[in-house]
Amino acid sequence: MARLPGPINVIVETWDPYISQPFFDDGGTSKGLGWQILISLQRVAMGYGLAAVVGIAIGGVLGLNRFIGKGLDPVIQVLRTVPPLAWFPISLMVFQDANTSAIFVIFITAIWPIIINTAVGIREIPQDYTNVARVLRLRKGAYIRNIVIPATVPYVFTGLRISVGLAWLAIVAAEMLKADGGIGYFIWDAYNAGGDSSSSQIILAIIYVGVVGLALDRLVAYVGSRVAKGGN
Amino acid sequence: MTVAFLTVDDVTQVFPLDDGGRYVALKDIDLSISEGEFVSLIGHSGCGKSTLLNLMAGLTQASSGGILMDGRQVTDPGPERMVVFQNYSLLPWQTVRQNIALAVNNVMRSSTAAEQSERIEQSIQLVGLGHAADKYPGELSGGMKQRVAIARALAIRPRLLLLDEPFGALDALTRGNLQQQLMQICQQAGVTTVMVTHDVDEALLLSDRVVCLTNGPEAGIGQILQVPLPRPRQRLEVMNHPDYYHLRSELIGFLQQQRRLKQRKQRVTPLVPAGKPDLETVRLGYLPGLDIAPLAVAMERGFLSEHGIELRPVAFDRWQSLEDELLKGELDVAITSATTPLALTLGLDGQPAWPAITPMTVTRSGNALCLARRFSDLGIHNLSSLAERLKGREWPLRLAVAQKGNMQELLLRHWLASGGIDPDREVELLALSPMAMEATLRAGEIDGFIAGRYRVAKAVDAGLTTVLATDLDMWGGHPEKVLTCHEDWALNHQEALLNLCAALMRGGQICEDPAEHDQLVALLGAAQWLGSGSALALQRQFDLGGDEPSGVRLPLNRFHSDRAHLANAAEGSWILSQFSRWGWSAFPSNRLELLSQVYRSDLCSRALERAGFADLRPERAPFALADGVAFDQDNPLEYLNQLPYCRATALESIPLPTGSSPRPIAAH
Repeated sequence: MARLPGPINVIVETWDPYISQPFFDDGGTSKGLGWQILISLQRVAMGYGLAAVVGIAIGGVLGLNRFIGKGLDPVIQVLRTVPPLAWFPISLMVFQDANTSAIFVIFITAIWPIIINTAVGIREIPQDYTNVARVLRLRKGAYIRNIVIPATVPYVFTGLRISVGLAWLAIVAAEMLKADGGIGYFIWDAYNAGGDSSSSQIILAIIYVGVVGLALDRLVAYVGSRVAKGGN
Repeated sequence: MTVAFLTVDDVTQVFPLDDGGRYVALKDIDLSISEGEFVSLIGHSGCGKSTLLNLMAGLTQASSGGILMDGRQVTDPGPERMVVFQNYSLLPWQTVRQNIALAVNNVMRSSTAAEQSERIEQSIQLVGLGHAADKYPGELSGGMKQRVAIARALAIRPRLLLLDEPFGALDALTRGNLQQQLMQICQQAGVTTVMVTHDVDEALLLSDRVVCLTNGPEAGIGQILQVPLPRPRQRLEVMNHPDYYHLRSELIGFLQQQRRLKQRKQRVTPLVPAGKPDLETVRLGYLPGLDIAPLAVAMERGFLSEHGIELRPVAFDRWQSLEDELLKGELDVAITSATTPLALTLGLDGQPAWPAITPMTVTRSGNALCLARRFSDLGIHNLSSLAERLKGREWPLRLAVAQKGNMQELLLRHWLASGGIDPDREVELLALSPMAMEATLRAGEIDGFIAGRYRVAKAVDAGLTTVLATDLDMWGGHPEKVLTCHEDWALNHQEALLNLCAALMRGGQICEDPAEHDQLVALLGAAQWLGSGSALALQRQFDLGGDEPSGVRLPLNRFHSDRAHLANAAEGSWILSQFSRWGWSAFPSNRLELLSQVYRSDLCSRALERAGFADLRPERAPFALADGVAFDQDNPLEYLNQLPYCRATALESIPLPTGSSPRPIAAH
């Protein structure tokens, strides 16, 4: 059994260049960890952003229309249990491009919690609020603006928080399989290099992955709390 | 009388249940509310108060019946009927001002922005929340939230304000302040208000009328209480008002009775599963008379066996023996006087109380009072000449009734008293078997009797008597005979009872069909019913517009039409008032409990359905007997106070016998 380096060794072995110079760029895929993370974040931003837009839209339709909601529920329940990486080969076949495929995997992983939570949020709008809207005879636009959206926001952000974690999980895994650059690529590359400091590099990257994942979660939560101001 | 602003017309609300059944939340609700009135709905939880409020708001639609405001049907919710919901229903993501603005801007679309904001500010000031206008509801206390909800509701100037337990969640001090504020605001705005509450003091303080709902399922209006306290009201003044405690105890009494009824319903569960498929034997007691015509028809036409009943009719010649057998359990049911179920349940005449119920009225009307011939020779043809004559007499007039305390006696006493005759001093009332009355009169032992018209007609035909009055002079359409049985028997043999009622109802319909009269006379003339001697009198009874002397020309008994079958608790309430009037029992302060236990309109409805007839329901409006004094079931004591010769109006809570009373119920 190979021994892993201790904490001090990890820092010593990766201090230069990985810790001290996060943004070095030797050309090609040899970049600092900062760049690698930014490459991954860029992919997440695209896939996750797309998932948020499409997911909220689909969730909104499913929540407002009980008929469609009931019809599509089984499909959603089946698709959402498919592991992220199972999508990867088929998206590679379709898109013929590792970068696009990685973004698609993030999209398809992140979209389900958003859809489900948005739909539930709309269905769970308290009867009290809809009664107020009915008594005041609020018009559709005013109803959606004043009641549906504010009442659903907490649910949507719960979905977005779950999704951002899943997206970050998926990107690291997808990059490990096939990608040019990104933090997942970095880990796999370090393993393949098999040098003396490989295990230290991997450990450092894992810590970075965790920290970034936490930061993403907090960021979405913060945005959520700002958007749902005055809420319950 | 002004035209009602809001009318709840015969509303029934049914909810489907998950198991495929139906839950009837409200049944046959009728209510009129005039403009500017403040009405409270009170009742135990689950009685459908909020359901009724939602119907008024238009948030839900009644399963049958409808709600009219200003003559237009309420079909959907709208700002002219603003609701203050139970849990405030403020939007938590909007400030106080925004919450009110949402309502105002939406309702006052045609107004300018300046007008809108003026209205918003005005409303905020109205409830004294200027300092909190920019706070979110989450930052406010419960009382402040409720003020915002009220401000929002009033800001759009609704014509009807609906409040659903507005102060339920508040502490006593806040509640008191808010009640006072609400009262002032509503009075200033002159807005018609309906409030759901379970707080008796709150209802009395705020309302012009308190509508008490009975327990669900099938909740109905149990009582409507006027609150005649002067306005403007102050809490302390109201509580010191001499009427306050009377009103309060009425309301609390109502709620307590409803609670006991609910407990009773839970305690009483059927011993045998309902709906036995095979023929069930039912022993029914009766006294021969025209009132058994529906029974005779039901047997003759096979209605009973159609409904799966094998009936064993048992004829009696005295009411006392029939009652004895019923109490012993030798009879399952009996056709008795309309007063019997209440008399048995109250245990009049020192008997042990026996929990009787009545699911239907078998016949209405049909009585006449006759006096021996010599009275008419003396010029006595009506009540006033009789009263005149009795003034100078030293011995009382001897009149016979078929049973002490029966409907005939109550009618007779009421009628005599209305003419200024004291039925306890100037008249002596004797109980005689109806079969023996004619002979006893012939022997000169009585001066007259009140009995079924056909019996009276026989005595008239025999030249013995003349008719002095019929029940048209007393109470046309009064309940005469009802079906009576023990509460437990009704519970354990509910199918049989419903089937029996259905068969009697169908029989009753035929009795009223003029095309059937010849056959009916032939049927009743058979030996097993009234005997051939009755044929002539019966013929006359059914021969409307014949050439009898005017005093004998009698309208028909009622067996079916005009809601004859109803087990009407309002009439029971009148009977109770008379029991108390003549000092036979105290007036039960828990009368509604007693009446809803005895008068089983639920069984009546189901039997009507089984017989294929439309459901009947009593009118809540006061009714009057021939003397014209209106009887309001919501205020029987006032009625008693207007009547002459009132012996006692002591109010007393009367313990009601339960099904588990020591008297054994004989098994078949």
